[in-house]
Amino acid sequence: MDLVRDVLDKPVVDRHGREMGRVDGIVLERREGAPPTVVGLEIGPAVLGHRLHPLAGRVVESIEYVSGLPRRRAVRIAFADIVQIDVDIKVNAAIAETGAGIVEQGLRAWLRGLPGGR
Amino acid sequence: MSAIFDLVLGIVTSIGGFVEVGSISTAAQAGAEFEFELLWAIAAATVMVAMLVEMSGRLAAVGRRTVAGAIRERFGIHFQILPLCAELLLDVLLLAAEIGGAAIALTLISGVGFVWWILPVGAVVWILLWTCGFAVLEDGIGLLGLVTLAFVVAAWRLEPAPAALGAGLLPTVPDHDGVRYAFLAVSIIGATVSPYLLNFYASGTIEEKLTEKELWVNRTTAFVGMGFGSVVSMGVLVTAAMVLAPKHIHVDSYEQAALMFVPPFGRWAVGLFAAALGVGCLGAAVEIALNAGYTLAQVFGWTWGANRPRRDAARFSVAFTLILLIAVAIALLGFDPLRLTMISLALTVIILPALVLPFIVLMNDEQYLKQHTSGVAGNVFLAVLTVLSALFALVVVPLEIFGG
Repeated sequence: MDLVRDVLDKPVVDRHGREMGRVDGIVLERREGAPPTVVGLEIGPAVLGHRLHPLAGRVVESIEYVSGLPRRRAVRIAFADIVQIDVDIKVNAAIAETGAGIVEQGLRAWLRGLPGGR
Repeated sequence: MSAIFDLVLGIVTSIGGFVEVGSISTAAQAGAEFEFELLWAIAAATVMVAMLVEMSGRLAAVGRRTVAGAIRERFGIHFQILPLCAELLLDVLLLAAEIGGAAIALTLISGVGFVWWILPVGAVVWILLWTCGFAVLEDGIGLLGLVTLAFVVAAWRLEPAPAALGAGLLPTVPDHDGVRYAFLAVSIIGATVSPYLLNFYASGTIEEKLTEKELWVNRTTAFVGMGFGSVVSMGVLVTAAMVLAPKHIHVDSYEQAALMFVPPFGRWAVGLFAAALGVGCLGAAVEIALNAGYTLAQVFGWTWGANRPRRDAARFSVAFTLILLIAVAIALLGFDPLRLTMISLALTVIILPALVLPFIVLMNDEQYLKQHTSGVAGNVFLAVLTVLSALFALVVVPLEIFGG
C-alpha cells in the first residue's frame, strides 16, 4: 500500500457511515534498527495546517484556542481501528466518541437559534 | 418516464441558468464593438464547458466524487491549497458582481441607487439558501431564468443576416483593436468556463442521486443544455451588434447595455432587460454561494448537502453564509459591478490551467470511473485545453492592461 496515495487525504467514515473528516496526517513510529511503523491516522484542521506550513498550523491553533477549543485538537484513530481502506477509509470508531464532531455540534446548537431553516 | 422528465427539466434549467453577469457583459461588449466577429468565441467556450461539465457529472455519477473532493484525494492538499484559495477569492468577487448585477436590475426599474439594493438582494439569496432544497434552488431558479430567452427573441426580431451570423462562427483577424478583440475573446471563455459551474454540477449530480446507469442523462443535459444555453449568450451578442454597434455605443455600464432592448421591445425594453439581468444574476449568486459551501465542505471532509436539514450540515451552512456575507460587504463598497466582473473573469482565466490539468488524471482513474474513463477523444481534448488554458493564463493580464 502507498500511504500517501491510498490513505492520506482520503475521507474517513465512522462505523455508522457518518463523515468524520479527511485523513489530515499519518502518525509513524520510528524504531531503532527497524523500519517505521504506522501508529494511526490524524484528523483535524491544526494537523492539516502544520502539514502545509508550521505558521499555518500555529494560526489554526490560535483560532481554535480563541474559539474555546482544546489546543492541538486532533482526532487520532489507531491503525488497529481501520476496518477498510478503499475509496473511503472506514474505521471502527464513532464520531461522537472521538471529538471529531465538536465544531459541527457546537455550530448546530448555535444554528438552532436561527428561525426557519430547511 | 421520470428519467425523461428529469432530462427535459435539466436541459430547460441549463438554458435558464446559462446567462449571468459575466456572459451578459462580455457578449454585450463583444457585439457592440466587433458585431458578430466574436460569435466563434462563445461557440468554442461552450464546447469547452460542455465537455468539462459532462466529465464532472460522470465523475460524480460513477465515482460518487465531486471535482474538489477528488482533487484533494488524488493530488493532496499541497497541490490544492493555492487553486482553492484562488477559487474562493474568485467566488467572492464573482458573487459580489452577481449581487451588484441583480441590484442594478432593481435600480433600472426603481431608479433607487444600486448600493441600496445590495443588502436586500443578499438577504434574498441567503433566505433561498437557508430554506430551499437543491431541486427548488436548481430547477426553480433555472425555470425563472427562462426570462433570459428575451435576448434570443430580441435577436430574432432584429432579423440578422444568416450569412453574417455564419461568418461570425469562424475566427477572423479583426480590422481594428486587435488587443481588445483578443481580450474579449479570452474574457468570453472566462465567463463561460466558470470554475464554480464544474463543482456545482458535480455536487448536483450527487444531490440528485444520478447513477452510473443514467450517464446518458448527464451527457445529454451537458451537451444539449449548454448548447441551447449558449444560444442565449449569442442572443446577447447579436442584439448588441444589431442595436449598439451601428450607433458606436460601447457597453461601459449595464444601463448602457439595457439600450439594446429598445428597438425590439419598445416600452417593455427596460423592464425585460432588468428581469433578464436580475434573474440571471440572482440564480448565479445562489449557485456560487452554494458552491463555495460545497467546495469547503468537500475539501475538508465536512457533512454537506442542500437536501439535508441546514442544522445537520452546520459547517457547510456557516461556510456559504460567511462567503455570502463577505461578498455583500465587498458589493456594499460600491465597486462598479461591470468592472468587478471583468476582474473576476481575468482571475478565472488565470486559474483555469490548475482547474483543467487534474481532469487528465481524474478522468483516467479506474478507481473512480471504472470502465467509463476518458477515451482518446476526451484525452486529446483535455490535453489541448490544458495547453490553451495555460496560454490564456499567460496573456490575460497583459490583455487586461492593454485591452481591458
